[in-house]
Amino acid sequence: MSAFEILVWILRLGFLGLLYLFLAVLARGLLRDLRGATARTTRAAGVLVVMAAPAGAPPVGATMALETITTIGRDADNVVVLDDAFASTHHARLTFRGRVWYLEDLGSTNGTRLNGRPVEGVVAVGFGDEIAVGETRFRLEPASA
Amino acid sequence: MIARSLAGIHPRPRGRETSLLLLAAVALLTGWLSLATTQAGRLSAGDPGLLVIYLAAAGVIHVLFVITGRRTDQVLFPAVVLLGGISLLFMARLPPSLVTQDAGPAGVLTLAPLQLVWLLLSLSIIAGLAIVVRNDTWLRNYKYSWAAAGVTLLLLVFLFGDEVNGVRLMLRVGPIVGQPSELLKVILVVFLAGYLAENRALLAGTSLRVGPLDLPPLAYLLPMLAMWGIALAVVVVQRDLGAALLFFAVFLGLLYVATQRTSFVALGLLLAAVGSVFLYAVEPTVQVRVAIWLDPFAQALGSGFQIVRGLYAFGRGGLVGTGLGAGLPSPDGTLAVPALHTDYVFAGLAEELGAAGAIALIGLYLVIAERGLRIAARGADDFRALLAAGLTLVLVLQAALIMAGDLKLVPLTGVTLPFVAYGGSSLLGSGICVGLLMALSDAGVEAPAPPQALTRGERWRARGRGVAGRVERAVR
Repeated sequence: MSAFEILVWILRLGFLGLLYLFLAVLARGLLRDLRGATARTTRAAGVLVVMAAPAGAPPVGATMALETITTIGRDADNVVVLDDAFASTHHARLTFRGRVWYLEDLGSTNGTRLNGRPVEGVVAVGFGDEIAVGETRFRLEPASA
Repeated sequence: MIARSLAGIHPRPRGRETSLLLLAAVALLTGWLSLATTQAGRLSAGDPGLLVIYLAAAGVIHVLFVITGRRTDQVLFPAVVLLGGISLLFMARLPPSLVTQDAGPAGVLTLAPLQLVWLLLSLSIIAGLAIVVRNDTWLRNYKYSWAAAGVTLLLLVFLFGDEVNGVRLMLRVGPIVGQPSELLKVILVVFLAGYLAENRALLAGTSLRVGPLDLPPLAYLLPMLAMWGIALAVVVVQRDLGAALLFFAVFLGLLYVATQRTSFVALGLLLAAVGSVFLYAVEPTVQVRVAIWLDPFAQALGSGFQIVRGLYAFGRGGLVGTGLGAGLPSPDGTLAVPALHTDYVFAGLAEELGAAGAIALIGLYLVIAERGLRIAARGADDFRALLAAGLTLVLVLQAALIMAGDLKLVPLTGVTLPFVAYGGSSLLGSGICVGLLMALSDAGVEAPAPPQALTRGERWRARGRGVAGRVERAVR
């Protein structure tokens, strides 16, 4: 085998080898992602970020992980408990169905507002939308890392 | 406006993409060296201008991704760059006179430079969509308009299409010749994602019971029958088996993703079987395709020539191939396999890179499948999940159809190998798919506004949206 033939073989196998190196690097990252994904499955599908709270409880900027059915109100049996004189004991409910969050008012005295508009019936909420309960305002955000 | 959108931009490093792109560049440069050395008979880099331009463009786009700082997927782009690079290597290896196009002042472009132009356009489309698209309302809210546009496109091809090899696929607008089915498949996915996302709950419900099958209300099955009809029409009028098969397979795949009902898939396969028998009976093209698939050697010098030569190409390749540039020569410009740069590009690559290279290629498509389905699984709502799943299915099923066709596992259908086969329409269509997938992968994309009564200003604007809005209202 001449030197040239050896060179050509090295280049040919080198190209193939690099293609597989590329795939191997990808496969490693992919497996890492998969493990991460299984570890994260128990995580909440969204969080509420407190934008404004009159009494300072919960504090502004706090994030609250949401449950599939999240009730908001003044009573202690709510998932999100508010210290807000303008909120009813059981004020509003956020539910996660399919891939979408829905918001409904539970017949509260002062109503619930989504992006400033009163909520009637059940409405879908997108991430980034602002929910106002009494004088407390939240923003719905995806539960990222 | 511009100042505001610029203010929201924060550069964000994309380490994974950087390292993958560097690796892809090293691999492609090695491939180029291997090709040039084999062709020159001594260690040579040949004239790597094409590849250098290509890699530079990929680098520029990567820098743009970093500067604009969106949290888009970091794997899709390098995978596509590698596929496109392999395509460029192979086109540079084929006789340049295979395809020529007079490009005016730039002179006459030959195969490899033309493919480079299309690849650069495709990468720009990916970059454009991945950077600019931050909102999917324009896709989501106008699904019937998109469907209407698609049907119009199809009718235009029916009426004005050019026939090439007895297949009516090409549409000529002035000097530009395009293959509208490549665009049509994207439109189809957008429509189906919109339709299924809206009617998912109804489709998953049961109201009809036919034997062992639980079916949804009949009215919601109509689009399914319409799809079946369109697929049949595409075959009968255009004799385009590949597109028809792809459309129907993507449709069934999305239907399953949306409803998780195997009865739909069973029904769809039944319809497909009935349609196939019918087409086999009435269409001589289909009969020929099936005959040369079952036994190409019976017509080895006639209609089965291409398949036979393709199989020999796979055989010559063996385990590690003959090496780039060392495949069966094409002395007088005729190719060892007809359509080696389009339909049989997989056979050509398998000859020169061997089974190892062919499997690596399949691996790259699997990577695209994994990323796409992951994006779908993370989709913020039904529409995005279905759109991402559909775009992935289009790319991957198409690759599977043509690779299996080249290998004589299924009857050969003339679809293209995404990002590898020569052809502008295919590269642009696949570019749109990957671009949208990347845009969808950004978790920070604005979610659609919740359905609310329109304010007066919004109602006025909605009315002003003209044709699209009118089509949507008409269909409802």
